[in-house]
Order: sequence, then structure tokens, then C-alpha cells
Amino acid sequence: MIPLHMGHFIIMPSWFYGFNVLFEIIFTIITLVVGLYALKVYKISDQPSSKFFGIAFLFISAAYLVRSAVNLVLMLTTEASGGTSSSGFIHYTSLIGIYLHIALFIIGLSTFAYMTLKINNMRVLSLLLAILILAIIFSSNTLFMYYLLSSLLLFYITIYYLDNYFQSRQYKTLLALIAFVFLLFGKIHFIFALNHGTYYAIGYFLEFAAYGLLLTNVMRVIRNNEQEKRPATDHP
Amino acid sequence: MNKKRDRLQIIHDILEAIRQRNGSIKPTHILYKSNLSPQMLTEYLAELVDKGFVMESKRGTGKVYSLTPKGFLYLRKYQLVLDFTETFGLN
Repeated sequence: MIPLHMGHFIIMPSWFYGFNVLFEIIFTIITLVVGLYALKVYKISDQPSSKFFGIAFLFISAAYLVRSAVNLVLMLTTEASGGTSSSGFIHYTSLIGIYLHIALFIIGLSTFAYMTLKINNMRVLSLLLAILILAIIFSSNTLFMYYLLSSLLLFYITIYYLDNYFQSRQYKTLLALIAFVFLLFGKIHFIFALNHGTYYAIGYFLEFAAYGLLLTNVMRVIRNNEQEKRPATDHP
Repeated sequence: MNKKRDRLQIIHDILEAIRQRNGSIKPTHILYKSNLSPQMLTEYLAELVDKGFVMESKRGTGKVYSLTPKGFLYLRKYQLVLDFTETFGLN
């Protein structure tokens, strides 16, 4: 087990060192694709829910980008100095990175949860954000509070997708539901990762499965759209 | 798909009714084609004009509605929008 750079509060298995950055880069790309595609749908349909969904995923993408960049810089710095890099640099880079990541991710998840609540009042979103950010900032254990509140938001989002699946009972809504169940369990594993490193790796694998399913769903929509564009050639 | 006709479907039906009349139609014809109450149709048309899907103009004593490029784009991409919004519960 080795300490994780970002925050120094989590331990992870030594074999996982470096893979976390790779996973974070993959998550950045997938969430960016989902977010941009949702905004494309918003541009066509003018549906506010597509806009909030797209903005939420862009914030989540930015959160992973910050996290992967900070972890990559710290990993390279440590390796270049043979593990003797300045503890001050690591400390401050970790702190800035983790707080920026937390802020972006919470904004993203709150926007997402706000969309699922179907309330057309931006003051509700600002209140939700203020409560969450203040609770995290003034918590004695920032990471624990962050993972706990993220899990709570994901729980409500998952309930929404459970309801969405039962309303339509289609394969595509089932995939979306499973993706959010994986995301929820992934976040719950990160709570336990504060004491057990293996949970940290499991959390990443669950998130990888979740984002993989979300990407599969978006690719399916794109593929269906391409097939519709193609002229029929079966009949003379 | 939901049994109840959702918002996207209603908007599609209104735009499709306008398109079928070569892009210019009176509200009474839209009412007949879209199967909505007059009150709901008024609300939908106001929203569609406001969002730039439909253009309202005067002909004689009445109004006619025509599609804007954004309205045509919506009709072309309707299946994509429907598929995406159903998948991610954005209806």
C-alpha cells in the first residue's frame, strides 16, 4: 500500500499506482463525449433537461480532468526526483487539486440531481449547491463528507433512473440504470477506501464499468441516427 | 415509449402538420392535425415561436405559421432526440 498523492488521505494498492491516472483520463473523455452530445440534443430540441444533463457531464468531465492532471504531475514529479520531491509542492498541489476536483464534481452532480427532480427554479439549485459545498468545506474530514454526499446525490439519481426504467422497460433505459447503480456503488467503495486500499481500486473498476455503459448508450444513439441517414439500398 | 403522448411527440406532430402544408398553415388546421385542445395548442405555438422553431405571420385577418430552419432540423433529427432523451430520462 502506498499513499495517494491527491490529499494524502486515501491509500491504494501499489499495483494500482499509475492506473488511476489512466482511468481518470478515460473518464474525462467519456463524460466529455456524453456532455457534448447532450448539448447537441439541446441545440436541436431546446429541452432544458438536455441542457442541464450536458452541463452536469461537462462539470464532471472537468473534475476528472483536474484530478488526472494533478495526479499525473505529482506522479511524474515523484518519479523524476526518485521519490524525494519537495513535500511542500506535493502538499499544495494535492490540496488545490482535490478541492477543485470536489467543487467541480459536486457542481456537476448537483446539476444532474436538480434535473432529475424536475423543479424549474434555479434558486433550488443554488441552495442545494451552497449547502453541499459548505458541508464539505466545514467538515473535519473533507474526503469522507465529499464521498458521502456524492453517494447521496447518486442515490437520488439512481432512484430516478429506476423509475425511468420501470416506466419504459427498454434495454436502453436498463443500461442507463445499471450504469448509475455502478456509479453509486463505486462512490460508496471510495468511502471505505479511506481505510482499505483495495476498495479504492474496486471503486475505479465500478466507475469504469458505469462510464463504459453510458458511452455504449450514446454510441448506440449515434449509430441509430447514422443508419437512419443512410439511404435504403435493399430495394431497387 | 410512454403510452401517453409526451412533449417531444406533440411538438413533432405540430411541426409535421406545418411541414405537410408546404410550410404554411392556419392554426385551425394545426388544431385538427395535432389533436390538441385550443388552449394547449396556443401555449405550444407561443413556445415554438418563442424558441424559434416556428414563424408567425399575418395573412388577411388571421395568422399563419411556417417552419424555420430550426423547425426543419428538429423534424430531421427527431428520432435522435427521442432516442437520447428516452435513454437518459430527459423527457
